[in-house]
Amino acid sequence: MTTTTAHMSTNAATLSTPSDREIRVERIFNAPRERVWKAMNDPALIAQWWGRGNKLVVEKHEPVRGGHWRYVEHANGEQHGFEGRYAEVTPPERVVRTFEWDGMPGHVILETATLEDLGDGRTKLVSVSLFMTTADRDGMLHSGMEGGMNESYRALDKVLASMK
Amino acid sequence: MVHYSTSLDSSFAALADPVRRDVLVRLARRDASISDLAGAFEMTLTGMKKHVQVLEDAGLVTTEKVGRVRWCRLGPRRLEKENEWIAKYQSMLEARYDRLGEFLERTRGEHP
Repeated sequence: MTTTTAHMSTNAATLSTPSDREIRVERIFNAPRERVWKAMNDPALIAQWWGRGNKLVVEKHEPVRGGHWRYVEHANGEQHGFEGRYAEVTPPERVVRTFEWDGMPGHVILETATLEDLGDGRTKLVSVSLFMTTADRDGMLHSGMEGGMNESYRALDKVLASMK
Repeated sequence: MVHYSTSLDSSFAALADPVRRDVLVRLARRDASISDLAGAFEMTLTGMKKHVQVLEDAGLVTTEKVGRVRWCRLGPRRLEKENEWIAKYQSMLEARYDRLGEFLERTRGEHP
């Protein structure tokens, strides 16, 4: 499956990577903000597009701060679960939530979707996805975990040497 | 001879295109011929050859001609698992927003 920017050139998404762990997508929809908000946040409507053409079951939908969400895509006899928690829900303009795929547990992405009313019946979606895994890892390395680990290994070396 | 000193730049360029990211995701599952890929992405053979060339220059894909068929597989500079996931996620995101755009067009007037 691929994006079809050619035949939708008027509304093609622009994609940029502000940092090596961030993906920013901007896209204009020919619909008022309330409609776009509803399509993105009403479970019956989400099921009609989120699965990219695959059957989608919205298993959990708690759009409040701290609430959970879980969608399961059914494709070719396989199931792919996606889930996370809401950090912010501000209708009709902003949703911040975490995103995790069952296939990559622990690789959490923080998604921020902002809807901007363009005032002419169109809406601009700005979606920023922040990959937290490497940032977390780098943070831990900088906080001296690496040094701590080396010390542990040195201690282990000593123990092993004394066991000879 | 491929020089990897510029590979970071070339792999960024290679990954900037959604079709090329999807080609990598597909090749991660199984090897494919250029015509398989062209068919899968509803693209001309020439168009797909160009994409594969960019991926090959970046070391992300290698190709080998067997008889009349040119086979593609993931190259020596395999994406680490996490980058592969990022590429996949990015493709999903774009596909999703395309679907949302189509949905909004299709249901124009149905929903307030």
